[in-house]
Amino acid sequence: MNSITLDNTLPNVFLRHTDIHSDIWLRQVTFEKGKTYLVEASSGTGKSSLCSFIIGYRKDYDGDIIFDGRNSRELDVNDWTALRQSHISMLFQELRLFPELTAMENVEIKNSLTHFKQPAEVKQWFEALGIADKMQSPVRQMSFGQQQRVAMIRALVQPFDFLLADEPVSHLDDENSAAMADIMMTEARRQGAGIVVTSIGKHMHVPYDKTLHL
Amino acid sequence: MRLVWKLLRRHISLPQLAGFFFANLLGMLIVLLSLQFYQDIKQVFLAEDGFIRPDYLILNKRVTALSSIGLASDGTFSQKEIDELSSQPFAKRVGAFTASQYKVSCSMGIGGVAQFGTEMFFESVPDAFVDVDLGKWHFSEGDEAVPIILPKTYLAIYNFGFAKSQNLPKISEGIAQMMELTITMRGNGRSEYIKGRVTGFSSRLNTILVPESFIRWSNARYAPDAVTAPNRIILEVSNPADDAILDYINRHGYEQEEDKLDAGRMTFFLRITAGIVMAVGLLISLLSFYILMLSIYLLVEKNTEKMRTLLLIGYSPKRVALPYQLLTIGMNAAVLVLAVGALLACRSLYMRQLWTVFPKMDGGSILPALLLGLALFVAVSLANAVVIRGRINKIWNNKN
Repeated sequence: MNSITLDNTLPNVFLRHTDIHSDIWLRQVTFEKGKTYLVEASSGTGKSSLCSFIIGYRKDYDGDIIFDGRNSRELDVNDWTALRQSHISMLFQELRLFPELTAMENVEIKNSLTHFKQPAEVKQWFEALGIADKMQSPVRQMSFGQQQRVAMIRALVQPFDFLLADEPVSHLDDENSAAMADIMMTEARRQGAGIVVTSIGKHMHVPYDKTLHL
Repeated sequence: MRLVWKLLRRHISLPQLAGFFFANLLGMLIVLLSLQFYQDIKQVFLAEDGFIRPDYLILNKRVTALSSIGLASDGTFSQKEIDELSSQPFAKRVGAFTASQYKVSCSMGIGGVAQFGTEMFFESVPDAFVDVDLGKWHFSEGDEAVPIILPKTYLAIYNFGFAKSQNLPKISEGIAQMMELTITMRGNGRSEYIKGRVTGFSSRLNTILVPESFIRWSNARYAPDAVTAPNRIILEVSNPADDAILDYINRHGYEQEEDKLDAGRMTFFLRITAGIVMAVGLLISLLSFYILMLSIYLLVEKNTEKMRTLLLIGYSPKRVALPYQLLTIGMNAAVLVLAVGALLACRSLYMRQLWTVFPKMDGGSILPALLLGLALFVAVSLANAVVIRGRINKIWNNKN
């Protein structure tokens, strides 16, 4: 997949709003593969909705979302499954980890589906992010910041053309934020993928190609 | 798969699954047992006579003193009476007995030595009423031998009356079927021989039965001018226990041997009873299915968020549904195996009892019960799988 285009898209909840001033809603915006985007937003402007629309979790919007010229509303279950497995990876704001599994198992559950990374490589990421000692700990016993790092590793153990990271560093200090940005950028460049990072304030320091205000 | 199972097995309620398991086992066992018992016990009523089914009745007119001396009707059925009988709601098919109109005598022996000779007669019914392979039950002109079904009582009379008093050996059914019968037919100025081959013995027919084609041919050859109406009728009914039959028979002064009706009635009631028991078993199975579905619904409800996350990180609905589908299929398979095991155990118990009453009984095939069990397993598993997949699809579509 080379591009994601939002064509006149607007969440249904905003349909009655007349004062929409956004770089994304009700405009034509294209995210291109290989480029890095920052979507800045205030609370309640539909940042998570945007991610949900792109990943196909929600469809309560007006307008169209187009993947390489194909309207996402035409995709069937198999198309969406293939898309989530090998084209668009997502780091959820609410993380969506499984609390009863260990950190490593949370990554494995994805990697066993994609068979994309070797255990040694995954382990290196745990070390780089400073949570190697938590690999075998149940996720529920970890802090939100630690969980954010596990969620990032899980998002990286799959082939992708685009990585959507919904507030990836909200609970991280600058040092860990930089470490996370580093492995994310390295993997995305290796795959030649595009990155869309959302933020309501604190954001990763990476060279963005474009910043959009939601 | 291991991790997915680790996730999704949370909230599985063992008491609920155990409830389903035992209810389903009970239901399945009752269904299979009722079918197997019917299969086994019906042999007692049916195996006795393989030629005429119990839902066939044989009717004749009552023989009275007046008819004996020729003052009443001759005891034959007119076409009008046959037509009226066929039009009754209980009658499925009606056939007439046709008798030989010429003189017949027969001698039998082994190895060419004649041992026993008698005057006799032949009768036939339409071939469709005779429960014998039609390849064997056939005669065409030029054939060397004619197949014959004899009444079982003949063999009994010979073995226990004649043979004993004359110091002759007893004859089993098997030996009788190997015996040569030489039949002499006289009439229309001819006297000719033909061989007879005993195809079997019937306890339901008090006549010497030959194929209809033989009677037609021989009557035309030895008694071309004789025209007679049948004096016995064979009747196929849908329900031998129907009171309307008895009522009709009495009203028209017909007769039929009670015990023959009884065998039919017994099998009919047996079928009804087995049917009711099976229905109860199916109902229990259905309720157990309901328990399982409720349990699965609750399970899916409690694990909805996990399943949604699995779908969002790239798992297909098929893969998410698989663990629960395998769980139910595994349980259904275990139920099937245990039910068949219990069935075999119960069967050996009641067969032992039955053998003391009917030593010759060999029991019915177990195949129908096995096939029914398999069919139930497939049906229930398929229904489970479809319902589970339906729940996952709902989660996919965000309707949960």
